Amino acid sequence: MNRPPEIAFFPEASFGAALNCVGIAQALQRQGANPVFICHAGFTGVFAEYGFKEYHLPDHPGSSAEAIADYWQDFINTHLPHFDLSPLAQLDTYVGPTWRAIVETAIAAEDDLARLLAQIRPDAIVLDNVIMFPAIANAGCPWVRIVSCAETEIPDAAVPPYLSGLAPGEDTGAFDAAYAAATRDVHRQYNAFRKRHGLHALPPGIFLEPSEDLNLLLAPQAVRYERAEPLDPERFVFLEGCVRHENDYELPRFAVEGGPLVYVGFGSLGAVDTDLIKRMLAVFQTIPARFLVNVGGLIEAYDSVPDNVHLASWFPQPSVIEQAALVIHHGGNNTFCEALYHGVPSLVMPYCWDGHDNAQRAEGAGVGRSINRAGWSDASLRAAIVDVLEDASMRRRLAEVARGMQADPGTSRAAKGILDLLD
Amino acid sequence: MTEARRNVRQNHLALAQKILSVAMARGLKSGDHLAEQTFSEACGVSRTPIRSAFKVLEERDILQWRQEEGYFLRLGTADEIASVIRALEDAENSVADRILSDRAERRISDVQSVSALTRRYKVPRASVLNALKILAKDGIVRQLPGRAWAFQPMVDSPAGLEDSFDFRLIMEPQAIIAPEFALDSKRAGLLREQMNSTLSKLDGRLTPAIFRRIDIEFHTLIAECSGNRFLRGTLAAHHRLRKASQKSAAIPDFRLKQAMLEHLEILDSLERNQFQLAADQIIVHLRRSRIRKPQAANRGIPPLGQGSRT
Repeated sequence: MNRPPEIAFFPEASFGAALNCVGIAQALQRQGANPVFICHAGFTGVFAEYGFKEYHLPDHPGSSAEAIADYWQDFINTHLPHFDLSPLAQLDTYVGPTWRAIVETAIAAEDDLARLLAQIRPDAIVLDNVIMFPAIANAGCPWVRIVSCAETEIPDAAVPPYLSGLAPGEDTGAFDAAYAAATRDVHRQYNAFRKRHGLHALPPGIFLEPSEDLNLLLAPQAVRYERAEPLDPERFVFLEGCVRHENDYELPRFAVEGGPLVYVGFGSLGAVDTDLIKRMLAVFQTIPARFLVNVGGLIEAYDSVPDNVHLASWFPQPSVIEQAALVIHHGGNNTFCEALYHGVPSLVMPYCWDGHDNAQRAEGAGVGRSINRAGWSDASLRAAIVDVLEDASMRRRLAEVARGMQADPGTSRAAKGILDLLD
Repeated sequence: MTEARRNVRQNHLALAQKILSVAMARGLKSGDHLAEQTFSEACGVSRTPIRSAFKVLEERDILQWRQEEGYFLRLGTADEIASVIRALEDAENSVADRILSDRAERRISDVQSVSALTRRYKVPRASVLNALKILAKDGIVRQLPGRAWAFQPMVDSPAGLEDSFDFRLIMEPQAIIAPEFALDSKRAGLLREQMNSTLSKLDGRLTPAIFRRIDIEFHTLIAECSGNRFLRGTLAAHHRLRKASQKSAAIPDFRLKQAMLEHLEILDSLERNQFQLAADQIIVHLRRSRIRKPQAANRGIPPLGQGSRT
């Protein structure tokens, strides 16, 4: 090969997927490859800031900044109350409608994606998403699937169903039936779309098949499930986290000094619930610790911020978590793995999707605690935070987890797996 | 302390910070000699204020005075020096700084009374009044009819930052192409040296705080060299507001270095009197810098972003 191998990353439009891919792309770049990113125009600059070339899926008529803002406002008004529901109750209210939006996005993106891939002519494509795009299967080069939400994405008789929040061994009958019902129509629509583009139909409830070449599962040893049927290690490679390099984070000046550092981030979607975060700030004020709180783009919604709290729209998360004694998050797998990688306990307050699975896993594996988003009081939240901060045995266990993960960084392993495909 | 004495003291503290920035940029280490003449040239001031600033640094155990030999650096690492610079910034304006920092952190609301601030900081009323006057001089607060003081909009939110970039995209190129732009070559040379040293001596790690300090100094230099007095004043005031209100943004290493290289290219053009080219380059530089991350992103939904406007 005369030119460096060109690897096209196509992460879904969420920060978790985007930043996992940045970590792998950094490792590929160190090994001489040329990673590039295909992304929605709304992600302009996110990858370029790390030095990667971006290819943008074009905006479509009707997707002006104003129209998207209105769409988000409607989304928040509709779904914010749903985040308080159980995983089972979310199937009809949130999961079903979200799958419909995902399928419609995939259908709308297909032609543009095929055009971009023909332009880039990559040597391999890396897909970090929850749905398959026929253009990728038809691009004529190997494609790699990153399983970055939760290990539950790859079904197994011994692994709880995806998005259920159930623990291994719990009865899954009711959830399975409700999931099939909630996704039946949209799944039929998706299979018809696949058929039009020459792809075989997928079984009910499945929107993305494993790659024939390589599947990278972002599931560190510490939180992995015992499977009834082990996955083929040639095709399924488990990653011990996928932590990107960020600049060192310089702590801001707090009006009061001292106390352990707690990082709080619910993802950009979770940040829209400013009322919940304000209630939490009032509790943080009563705890002798310093809190860094990611409030996304909504910093102007806050006033009278406590002296031991610092708000920001964006943090270089890995560098912040490295200094933290506790991470309070929504169960996004990227954040969860960053916490494990640095040996920091998680207090997970899930609101939707894979957050439920990771909250259960944090609790089950003894690397954190989960707390119900709808059911906490000031006293119970305070007690949960203090308990985790004081849990020395959890900290010891996490120190061991961190040593193991740092000795075998997922980013390097993923990069090697991708480059091996091209040999 | 009288106003005049306070001003002199603040000048010495500001110069002390500058001396340490130069020392850091030049990679000076513990035990290295600081020659008055060298720093006088680097900072563009006479040796008398340099001596006073050295004394300030000696009082803080940052420099050591040796009879008939002069001043020597006590600190070892760039990190130590950076943290001392930060402490000096605090000392420079303590009550005003605390008020500003609390407003930037949204700990206090945008309208304040002197009594409330006196209670919060447990300092005499006169200190609070003096601090408010310092902040008023920079246009950060203004006195309302009656006893209240109101904070002016700051560059402390995504929307504020967006407006700041819109404003700068209009004003900064104009500041360059207005007739009689005159580059202060001494300051430009010092900045160039700092930028080059920072790029080459930090083992590839340029912290956002160091970048931000140099960035504001660079853009302030451009403002102050403009031939148009109103552009000069307005832009310089805006950069003071940026300095006061902005936190060190989390920007990846790649972009920090790229932005620093863009600064150097703009300086090249200015030094060659290619003002139109420099104005075009500053537009590109600001457009790249303003690209913000999406405010919200979720699977299946187009990201709510701010980047596509540029």
